[in-house]
Amino acid sequence: MSDQTQTDTGLPGKFMQQMVSLDYRVLASPLQQRFDAGMRAGRITGHKCPVCSRVYVPPKGYCPLDTVATTEEHEVDVGDEGIVTSFTVLTPIQYRGQRERQPYALASLLLDGASSTVGQQRIAGPIEDVRTGMRVRAAWKPEAERTAEVSAMAQWGIGKAIEHWEPTGDPDAARDHYAEHIL
Amino acid sequence: MRDVAVVAFAQSPSRPEVETTETQMLFPIITEAIEQSGIERRDIGFWVSGSCDYLAGAPFAFVSNLEATGAWPPIPESHVEMDGAWALYEAYTRLQHGDVDTALVFCSGLSSRSDLRETLAVQLDPYYLMPLWPDHISLAALQARAFLDHNGATERDMAEVAARSLRSAKDNPNAQVSGDHTAEELLGADYLVEPLRPHDCPPVSDAAAAVVLAVGDRARAVCSRPAWIRGIDTRTDPHSPGVRDLAVSPSTRLAGEKAGVHSGPVEVAELAAPFTHQELIVREALGLGDDVEINPSGGALAANPIMVSGLIRIGEAFRQINERGRNRVIAHATSGPCLQQNLVCVLEGE
Amino acid sequence: MFYFWAVAEAAVESGFTLEFPYKRSLGPVVGAFLGGLYERRIVGVRTAEGRVICPPFEYDPDTGDATGELVDLPETGTVHEWAWVSRPLRKHPLDRPFAWALVQIDGADTRMLHAVDAGDRGRIARGVRVKVRWADETRGHITDIACFEPVG
Repeated sequence: MSDQTQTDTGLPGKFMQQMVSLDYRVLASPLQQRFDAGMRAGRITGHKCPVCSRVYVPPKGYCPLDTVATTEEHEVDVGDEGIVTSFTVLTPIQYRGQRERQPYALASLLLDGASSTVGQQRIAGPIEDVRTGMRVRAAWKPEAERTAEVSAMAQWGIGKAIEHWEPTGDPDAARDHYAEHIL
Repeated sequence: MRDVAVVAFAQSPSRPEVETTETQMLFPIITEAIEQSGIERRDIGFWVSGSCDYLAGAPFAFVSNLEATGAWPPIPESHVEMDGAWALYEAYTRLQHGDVDTALVFCSGLSSRSDLRETLAVQLDPYYLMPLWPDHISLAALQARAFLDHNGATERDMAEVAARSLRSAKDNPNAQVSGDHTAEELLGADYLVEPLRPHDCPPVSDAAAAVVLAVGDRARAVCSRPAWIRGIDTRTDPHSPGVRDLAVSPSTRLAGEKAGVHSGPVEVAELAAPFTHQELIVREALGLGDDVEINPSGGALAANPIMVSGLIRIGEAFRQINERGRNRVIAHATSGPCLQQNLVCVLEGE
Repeated sequence: MFYFWAVAEAAVESGFTLEFPYKRSLGPVVGAFLGGLYERRIVGVRTAEGRVICPPFEYDPDTGDATGELVDLPETGTVHEWAWVSRPLRKHPLDRPFAWALVQIDGADTRMLHAVDAGDRGRIARGVRVKVRWADETRGHITDIACFEPVG
């Protein structure tokens, strides 16, 4: 990061280096804890809005469109199979802290029975095969490995109880089936 | 200028740790404010929020928080990385344009998610201050030293502020700390950072709040006794604590003058001073005498949700007018190290 | 940028460290001050009205006018406001009890925030004379001043 000195300041570089580091706590809300417990048991759950019937996975505790609160009483199971609605292939830049070495595909998935997509899901298999409309199925971690920490829903994710998603080989879904659920 | 009034106010109880997500914490508060206002959600003309992503370390958290508004069809909204009091200032200004008559202001913060004594250092001058990581308590202590040395006030005067605040907070179910303590008892504690003791400092609080504003006859139609904003102003002093006299607050004095604090008698003042000596500095800057009731809510010493404390003062001022029959109340909000920025709002009943 | 870690009840609480490596441009005024520190010199700046600001800013905080020429200053000054920290936090400049202080460098009209290694609560007060203790190695950073220490 050292450029040659610019003026007569005599400094070793043009910039002041500063590492700003802050520690944060993340609390799993009661809603998240319940979702996590479901994931450890091999269940993907959502909340169904009593007004519009949309199913949010993971559950938010409310419907953002109808602004009604949702609770356990609105809990439903969704399938662990679904459709790739969007995807990207990441070429891992080797920045400090990067753990990936090879390109990999992450996808948004519309799970069977859900109205919202789950994002950032890893797709196994040849990257060139990944396409929108492709049907995939969850490859769950063995039950013994689905610890509380691993299942924990990180921010918008669904946790790590599912290792990755594999193509099922079924015919692709028609676009109008998922067109309103891309992201 | 169009007449703008506060017509509704909702807040969540300030707690040391709220375990839901920030959006879940906000959700019922926005709904409550809307229901209280009698205005349809779809009729709100402008939405604006105040929050700080740094508090919970969640970049763009304020975008997720929009889910609590029901933003479909799309809504016109704005955000300030400030206390909700400044979001209200923006809403007040927006309403002056004449094309919309209502606005909803909301704010939230989960201070519990980090150590504020580190996190708040990140708001400081990155060259001369932040690299030393001076925490907000230490900076406040420097200001307290200036105040004690130059004003003739004492640590007992500061303790009296705390005792009064905690006693008043007993009547406020939304306050976080409250109780009966004498100044003597409080002065028996060890210093946290001399000359500040724990009672001189605010609690760490998680909370959310929302206010609804309406213009003229719209306000009269929906609210039995609106709190009219007769003046509102915000000023800032230089950021560096080394270039100004910390014993006084020129920005508060000027904001108070511009807002017209003394255009009439002041019955109650809700001051968002999170440190005891800061309340005394602000009172002096605003020229508030002993006849003014200060912080019946308990103020920021009883509950201090960062990004929300200032809007709560405005909301509490509204309640003094709307529920308690007061006629003229002022509210104050502050931001930045050592009272760097100050907002003053004058509210009146009709 | 995000490093996740887990604590105790992993199902309920976890955490992460948010870290940003910044490189901040300096400009001729802040750069001159930090350049001075690199060479173990204190530099201030003069305002149009003749006041000296240290540490220097590009603009006069009172008038908003651009500041003028740089001024060489000594390493000594006087404590104005102070605050005794009996239990330092992990990121504070010193790991033993110390005083924060607003130090007015001799010849300056404004004050610099820094730590004073007074050693003892009784050795810090308004009016105490202090001097810079330089870091073993300087790099053009406010911490090139490791702290101030009482004189005499």
